[in-house]
Formats: sequence, structure tokens, C-alpha cells
Amino acid sequence: MIITMSVNAERKDIQNVKSKIEQLGYATKLFQGEKKTVIHVIGVTEREKLIKAVESMPGVENLVPILRPFKMASREFHPENTVISVNGKKIGNEDIIVIAGPCAVESEENYLEISDLVKSAGAKFLRGGAFKPRSSPYSFQGLGEKGLEIMARARERTGLSIVTEVVSEVDVPLVYKYADVFQIGARNMQNFQLLKTVGRFDKPVMLKRGMSATIEEWLMSAEYILAEGNPNVLLCERGIRTYERYTRNTLDISAVPVVDDLSHLPVIVDPSHASGDSKYVRSLAKAAIAAGADGLMIEVHTDPSRALSDGKQSLQPDAFMTLMDELRRVAQAIGRRL
Amino acid sequence: MLVVMHKNARPEEIDRVCNRIKEMGLTAHPIPGAQRVAIGITGNKEMIDTNRLAGMSGVLDIIHVTQPFKLTNREMKAENTIVTIGKADFGAGGTTVIAGPCAVENEEQYMSVALSVKKSGAAMLRGGAYKPRTSPYAFQGLGEKGLQIMARAREQTGLAIVSEAVDTDTFDIVEEYVDMIQIGARNMQNYSLLRRAGRSPKPVLLKRGISSTIKEFLLAAEYIMSEGNYRIVLCERGIRTFSDYTRFTLDISSIPELKKLTHLPVISDPSHASGRRDMVIPLSRASIAAGADGLIVEVHTDPEQALSDGAQSLTVPMFDIMMQEIGIITQTIKEYNGKMHEGGNA
Repeated sequence: MIITMSVNAERKDIQNVKSKIEQLGYATKLFQGEKKTVIHVIGVTEREKLIKAVESMPGVENLVPILRPFKMASREFHPENTVISVNGKKIGNEDIIVIAGPCAVESEENYLEISDLVKSAGAKFLRGGAFKPRSSPYSFQGLGEKGLEIMARARERTGLSIVTEVVSEVDVPLVYKYADVFQIGARNMQNFQLLKTVGRFDKPVMLKRGMSATIEEWLMSAEYILAEGNPNVLLCERGIRTYERYTRNTLDISAVPVVDDLSHLPVIVDPSHASGDSKYVRSLAKAAIAAGADGLMIEVHTDPSRALSDGKQSLQPDAFMTLMDELRRVAQAIGRRL
Repeated sequence: MLVVMHKNARPEEIDRVCNRIKEMGLTAHPIPGAQRVAIGITGNKEMIDTNRLAGMSGVLDIIHVTQPFKLTNREMKAENTIVTIGKADFGAGGTTVIAGPCAVENEEQYMSVALSVKKSGAAMLRGGAYKPRTSPYAFQGLGEKGLQIMARAREQTGLAIVSEAVDTDTFDIVEEYVDMIQIGARNMQNYSLLRRAGRSPKPVLLKRGISSTIKEFLLAAEYIMSEGNYRIVLCERGIRTFSDYTRFTLDISSIPELKKLTHLPVISDPSHASGRRDMVIPLSRASIAAGADGLIVEVHTDPEQALSDGAQSLTVPMFDIMMQEIGIITQTIKEYNGKMHEGGNA
């Protein structure tokens, strides 16, 4: 619910409305505009009761209920785009960001080499998994903290910011020490404890869509993070599971404009996981930018055939370089920058 | 890799093989069977040098398990695993039914459902104390208070209780109260939670993720088993498809497929699969007919007033009818299997 106070509402009117709402058990957030104050009410379960209690209070101009189940994530709640700032780089404005790197951090030498290459191609962020959620308990599970240390050295050397996945709420404080952006993977999109935990930290969160999640469920998961007080959520479409077998997943390209319509949060696309095949990454990446995505997350490896995970979907550095040139032209054509 | 021991292998021979496996830097999982002991080996990155094991006394055979799931695989253990919890057992040939409301709402409500389902023949009680809800603003369950209510219902009815653990933070407390820990569909790939469940002395009810393949489902069970907990019951609860008349689509073929691939018991959840009360009874019948070892069914004394999932909860009289029908099907299958066995056509 959004409550707009009239131009001549006094401070005590605002305070009274705020107290009344809090008495009913809801949290509030005040936005002080140039002329008017707007009060956001969070987590309304009994809308009629709230309207009745507040609508005739002095100073109240109007009440707009947010009908969608996601509130803080909705456009109605926050009409302008959210722009996330990471070490001076912006996500969600006219700039298109590219996050690149290997699926998993395997060794320092290999990681630094890839970092230098993706930087020279124009990527602004580095990806890399230190904690890997693997379907099998016997598969390579990542280097853990050692992997994070390697990523931190790559950041020092290249100046790029790092995005890395956290797979369990107990690891959040550790990953916080190293990462610039937390990644919540598709398998954990509904790991509510993990969502709440990253919601209490002051670093941005990139939330990947679950492989069979509806857009509404995805935005509800973003809501879990926002409701804990972390406003910097970046959404990432990474393909959904369908009956089609030629690609690992099916990129839901329409999710990009739909999310843009429903939410103020920036949205990027991961063409590597969506296709599972480096052959198709180029086309999907261009399509994503053309559809209005705020960025891309792409897997790059110097020797994909030897990668410890997801080699098949990783681009080689020269292919990545060519792709970045192409993407620049697509971005330009739609009035954006890369 | 699986080391199959001779029928009359001595315990010290088994110990010696386990120790050799440990010396090789691997993990040994002795699996006692009706006829003989088998020892599962996990933790290998490359091919194992089987020569170091093949000549040892008591060793009959070494089998390479080709599928990625090892300990859960029927190749590792031919006989059904029977998970016994109080008076309930899963995988022993009968139909074991877990029933109760979706969420524990208050003591009066819970007791009333518990006594009713017991009367109709339920073997265990279900109930959510910690609820994983899509919305952060929806009813999240009563927490420990809910578990206390369930514990009192156990005292009154003598039935064992199962409830969901939604994260590692609250796992300990759920573990303390319940007889069986449920891992829900949303958490089927929450690997830290699976590992924690693997270190629990309590059996685990593992639900299939809404879009997971059978292989991913068995690998999730493998996470639990690889930590040492072998008492797992698998639960098919419907997968997400394009069909929109039901909440999910019950993957009925997963039941015979799982029974073939794994030795673990398999039950079905017709309530979540359909999301519709009127479909719970036919899907229950179909599940048992397809070979499920049991069911988990939502029952509420007043479904219209339920705080969650009311539309899929059976009323008490409906549950009673369901139990009678299930009894007849179970009996028929047993008799049929008996006859097939006698005739030698099985």
C-alpha cells in the first residue's frame, strides 16, 4: 500500500498515520518528496482494515493498494528504474554491463589469465564459482575460500568487480568479505533462509531465476531480499526447463520486457546456462541486449575442453572478444552503451 | 564401485576390506543385505585400482556402478530398504499412510485431525511448523510451538510425526521433536541442508523438486546417504508442466522407475500433485496401484478455514473412504503378487 500525504500535511499528521499503521503490525518506509510525503506500508495482509483505519485521518490525500503479491519489487512501488552502483560502475542505467569469467575458479594462473583477457575485451565484472552447487555429491565442489582469495587478487590486478555465488547461509559472512556482488543461483532461488540472510547485508545481490520458476515466484524471491532491507537486487534470466532437448535450458527472452514492466529492478541474461552450448551464446547474447536487458553474464575459459565444469558452454577468449564488438553495435542501435 | 562379499564372509574380513578402502583414501559404506554384505565405495576421482581389493579374502565380486548415483542405486543393494519409524514401516510391502493438515494452526485443530486420521488407519502424522512460503508476507508457520503441539499429538495417538526442516538454522530444533524429517521440494537441491540431514540420526522424507529429473532426485538422496544417513523415503509430489487444471502433474511413471533404480522406499503426495481435493482419492489409488510404498495426504477438519492449502485437503470422511479403497487395492496387489509368485511367472 502506498499512502500519499497532502501538500499541507503537518509533521504530526504524518507521525500519526505512521503510528496507526505500525499499531496494525505493518512496517513503514517514509519517502520525503519536494512537496509531499509518501508512506510505503510493507506486508499488508488485511487491506480493507488498513484502508478503513487510515483513509480519513488528517493529512491523508490518497491510498494506492499494490495489488500484486510482490510489493517492494513492483514498479508501482518504485516507478523509476533502480540503478545499482558497484565500485563506481552502474547497473540499470543506459550502460550495459558484462560479467565474464570461467564457471568455476580452478587455479590462480588460469583465473588471472582469463581475467586479463575479459578485461581487455571490455567486461566490467568478473564471474567465477568458489562454492559450486553440483547435482552430484561426488563432483568438483569448488575451491571454497581459496577460490575467493584468487578472485580478490584478480580484482586487485584488473580493477574489475567480482560476482560469486553463495550456496549456504552459513557461508554468507565469508563470501561477503571477498565479493562485490553476491550471486544466488537458480537452485537456491527459493532457499528462503539464504535470501533473508543476504537481505541483511549491504552488498548487491544477483538473483538467478529458478529453472522452473514463474516470473511471479522470481519476483517474490527478490521481495524476500528487499523486505530484509537490501534494496540492491539484480535479476538474472538463465533459461527455464522445458521439453526442448537441443539446448540445456530454454532462454525465456520475454522475461526481459515482462520484468521491466512489472519491476524497477535491473535484469540481465545468462546465455551460457540458457543454451549450455557455446555455439548459441552469441545469438542469445545479442537477442538479450536487443530485448532490453541491462547486461549479460557470460562464461569464458581459455581451454573449455579442460574446464572442471560447464566447459561445453564456455566461449574461448577470441570468440568473446568478437562477441563484445558485435554487442557494442547492438547496444548503440537501441541507444545504449557498452 | 561395489565390493560384494561372500555369503559367509566373516565380520573381520569385512572390516579388513573397509580398512583397505580407507587406506586408499576412499570412503567405505558397508550395506548389509539379506544374503550377503556389500561395501559401497565413494570418493574416487578416477578409476579405482580394483586389484588391491579383488584378491582379499571374503570378496566375491567387484561391480562398477555406472550411474552417477551410487549408494541409492539398486545395483548396490538388491533388496528393498525398509525404513521403520515407530509402528510405521515403508518399503515392507504394505501401504503406509502419513496424514494431517498442511500447517499446524492450533492445538485444538491439530488434535482433532490427528485423532480422526488415526481412527481411519493413518500410520504417521504430518504437519508443517516451519512453512516455506513463496511470499515473505504469507503465514510462515508456528515454529517451535507447532512442533510442541505435534509432540503432544504423538503422545495422545501413539503415531510418529514428520515435519519439514526448511533451513540449517532451525534443523536442530525440528530434529529434536520429530520422528522423521521432511526436506521439501524447494529445498531438494539445498545441498547444505541435505548434508545436515545426512548427519542426522533421524530418517528423512525427501520430496522431489518441482522440475527435477529422476536422476537429480536420486543424486539429492545420494547427498544425504553419502554423509551416512541411509534411512530415506522418497516422495513424488508432482512436477511442473504446462497443464493448468491441476497445481502440478503427478509423474506416476516415476514410481515404477524409482522402484527399479533404487532400493529406497517411494511414496506419493497426491495432495500437492493435484492441488485439488476431488483428485486426491483417484491419484492415491493410482499411486498404490503403480507400486508406491505409501502416501502422504493432507487432511483438515475444516478445509475452508485452513491457513494454507485448504483446497487440496481432504475432509475427514473423505479420508476415511480413501483409506478403505487403498486397503482393497493393497490387498489385491498382494494377492496377485502371491499368485504370480506361486505360478512362477513373476
